[in-house]
Amino acid sequence: MSEIKENDPITIKLEKEKNDLKIGVFICRCGGNISDIVDIDKVKSSIDAEIVEEFENLCSLNGRKIIRENIINKNLDRIVIAACSPISHEKTFREYVQPLNPYLMDIANLREHCSWVHDDNPEKATEKAITLIKASIEKVKQSNPVDPISYQTPNSAVVIGGGIAGMNSALSLAKQGINVDLIEEAPTVGGNMAKIGKVFSPIKIAEECGLCLLNPILNEFVWHKNINIHTNSKVLNCEKRGGNFTLLVEKNPRYVDSDKCISCGKCSEVCEVEVNDSWNDGLSKRKAIYRPFSQSYPDSYIIDIENCEKCGKCVKICPMHAIRLKAEKEMIPLNSGSVIIATGHKLFNPDLRPEYGYSRYEDVITQSELGRIMGVNGPTKGKLKKLSNGKVPKRIVMIQCVGSRDEKPGGHKYCSKVCCMVALKNANIIKHKYPDTNIIICYTDIRTPGMYEKYYKHTQQAGIRLIRGRPGEVVKKNDTLIVRTEDTLKKEFVEIEADMVVLSTALEPSEGTKEIAKIMDIGVTEDFFIKESHPKTKPVTTDVKGAYVCGTAQDPKDITESIMQATSAAAKVSEMIHQGVEIEPFIAEIDQKRCNICEKCIHTCKYKALSIKDDEMHIDPVSCSGCGKCLTACSENAINIQGNIEEKIFGTIYGLLKDKKEGERRIIVFLDRIGYTTTDNIGVNRVKLPESIYVVKVHSVNRVMPKHIIYALQNGADGVFIGEYPGDLMYQEVEKKMNLIQEKIAENNMNPERLEFSNVYIPYFRGLAEKFERFDDKIKNLEG
Amino acid sequence: MNLKLNENTHDLANSILKNLKSSEDMGLLRCVQCGMCTSTCPGARHSSYNPREMIKKILQGDETVIEDENIWNCFYCYTCHSICPVGNSACEVNQILRQIAIKNGKVNDKVKPFIEFGDSFLRLAIGGIPSIFFPEMREDIGEDWWDFKNNLDEIRKDLDLDSYIPDDESINEVRTLLINSGFEKRIKKIEE
Repeated sequence: MSEIKENDPITIKLEKEKNDLKIGVFICRCGGNISDIVDIDKVKSSIDAEIVEEFENLCSLNGRKIIRENIINKNLDRIVIAACSPISHEKTFREYVQPLNPYLMDIANLREHCSWVHDDNPEKATEKAITLIKASIEKVKQSNPVDPISYQTPNSAVVIGGGIAGMNSALSLAKQGINVDLIEEAPTVGGNMAKIGKVFSPIKIAEECGLCLLNPILNEFVWHKNINIHTNSKVLNCEKRGGNFTLLVEKNPRYVDSDKCISCGKCSEVCEVEVNDSWNDGLSKRKAIYRPFSQSYPDSYIIDIENCEKCGKCVKICPMHAIRLKAEKEMIPLNSGSVIIATGHKLFNPDLRPEYGYSRYEDVITQSELGRIMGVNGPTKGKLKKLSNGKVPKRIVMIQCVGSRDEKPGGHKYCSKVCCMVALKNANIIKHKYPDTNIIICYTDIRTPGMYEKYYKHTQQAGIRLIRGRPGEVVKKNDTLIVRTEDTLKKEFVEIEADMVVLSTALEPSEGTKEIAKIMDIGVTEDFFIKESHPKTKPVTTDVKGAYVCGTAQDPKDITESIMQATSAAAKVSEMIHQGVEIEPFIAEIDQKRCNICEKCIHTCKYKALSIKDDEMHIDPVSCSGCGKCLTACSENAINIQGNIEEKIFGTIYGLLKDKKEGERRIIVFLDRIGYTTTDNIGVNRVKLPESIYVVKVHSVNRVMPKHIIYALQNGADGVFIGEYPGDLMYQEVEKKMNLIQEKIAENNMNPERLEFSNVYIPYFRGLAEKFERFDDKIKNLEG
Repeated sequence: MNLKLNENTHDLANSILKNLKSSEDMGLLRCVQCGMCTSTCPGARHSSYNPREMIKKILQGDETVIEDENIWNCFYCYTCHSICPVGNSACEVNQILRQIAIKNGKVNDKVKPFIEFGDSFLRLAIGGIPSIFFPEMREDIGEDWWDFKNNLDEIRKDLDLDSYIPDDESINEVRTLLINSGFEKRIKKIEE
């Protein structure tokens, strides 16, 4: 293979520039970890720098003193630390080089990548140590001072959705001194929990009054001075700039002045318009001027303007003169550093499963409707009645998984998680109040994990029957409903006679959840729930920085889980507000003079970091990863990544190759933090590496350009190996790029086989070591 | 029955999934035995056929299901196919099982009544209900149908309609196709 070409224009540039910089090299013996293998004296005599010093433990406070004194006394411009892995001590040494800018220091990894992988060959280890230090010297020569970006969000947050999740996150934030604007589309806060009636809770073998549990939360929430509630309101638009959200909220008028209204209800009495009451799932009627339910907030009536006939009777009778039929909607702009999405769920439309006859038979109802019927504040005042004739049903069949675990059109593949407990709960409530009712639950699997299993057993003991079988249809014969199913445990087809059939319908994302995802450009799952940035380790963050999710907007869950996630989302917002975030400065910046706002960069960015505001392109520093993909999309060369990354990569390559000897083999490996840590693991476990392997840590492997690889191969590198973690957002991007780069290598009359791409996983370090071994072998036998 | 974990119980299921007749991404392996197919199956209502049990046996790798007389009680109404929550199709699976049974040559008595369908295609280029079923149909549907069937030619003539049997050219074309594709050979093999 070739050697460094002295006439290569890049080499000339690298050699000429910045050669007057005073560089200090500090070598750590690491208590023998390095010095037992690497011949430190030989290294010192081979390095050309202003000063080259060695210490027993450079990371100690004594080390700091020595580094600092040398920087001040000898006016050093750049520092190279030859010690352990930057993964262990980069932060330490960035601090130790003060007053120098932290990014003017680089670490040559003599321990994990050198002494520990070559402890059988001190001579080779020493040679490698010298080369690694030389590469770091060339790299720091190309480094510019850059400042870390400290980012602080304003002391405010917006919560979208006023159900149990939204109220709890707002309350948690407010109690931490954060100002919250809560936006609720409905005329009242409270969400689904307000209308459930009785609720189940873990451990307790009893059903509790939902509103009684909700009320203390509601009261605290409503009266908290840090919370500003906007009901009847909707987010129309959202813009993101510099880590901040600007939301445009449309607030619809109530037509009743909440401050004046005393909820006497006289208006409602005189109103002649009757419509279905959605709070009772349409099972009862309400007037066009109404109060959703007696604990609703704001504590005031409201006019359903679509159905109001504007007769004026309510206006005349109102003793407080609180009613204004002419009112305009209001547009409210809100600024906030973070947004919590708590837009909740809706229920599966049972008409999509016509075989169950929901619209055909009056006495086929949903669990939600049964909840309203059993509710003392519901349409029957808590009396169990058939909707068809008002009689008390004696035989009730519940059908599980309606729209859940269902691949048919409109159905959902997932389990809705709460329906088993909902059915058991409602069955128990009925059995308790009406002991001679016969109840059968037709199920496929009963899912009552954890403590809920006890409730399941309690239900069995109460005499509720369970049939394992998913009914195929509900028909009516002589005024009796017939549920057709197979009792799969008895292997028998059965027809169950019933007076009432209750469908346990699936939970699915609400329209509001789907809308807000679109408005805020937040990623959703295949089921259109808001997608967390990592389902295992980041359960409340979304792919938009600063936007969090909680409750059933994220997936089906019960009240307890919704509250847990709500407070967790609030904690994440609080972290941002109270601690701020320190961001590595190697992120994109826009040259506004060159930018023609073609928007190509917006579409290529996987981190959703770019946006337009006031006719200018903006980069959100919190979102940008510095991957550099936008650079390739920009035809105007208007984007730059701060911190000279391209030059630093060239410098490192040059440094790695410039002392290459004849007959020697050098392979340059580019890895980001994950790949680099994997290689550290090779060292930590004392697995051997071929001496030809030189690992370069880059911010993102996407920043390694074809020109870097061509330059390396033309100037002495025998091979280039690029590794990436498949979970990285850029993985597919990089994988795709490899073929193009190999074509370019071939165009330059070199063997494209000299470039290799591989996936890396931190625990799979032995596999990576083997891959290095194989690549080294392959390169050894390669021609051209 | 001894369930051996070292056996590859999914061999039968996988061979069914690979069969040309099975729909793409058929949910056979996703079956959770919910019984919805059986709950709507007319065959199950009037005989001992149980599509859920049939699927269970397949998932257990139990090849006796191929010789199970009951699989011949499905009449392809596709209700199970259209309601299965995991996208399985007991109906398609049944058809594949029958094909295997026919191939094994052990169920000719079950297939023979259907041979007349094939014969009818070869002779007239259209399918026809095997005559073996006529007595039962006459009983079920009634004398009107029987009269209608026996006087069809005259009724069509009255209505100014042509014969329902295609012309000779078409019949020859279909026959050539059936002979060249091996259909005729297969029919003959079963007849033996």
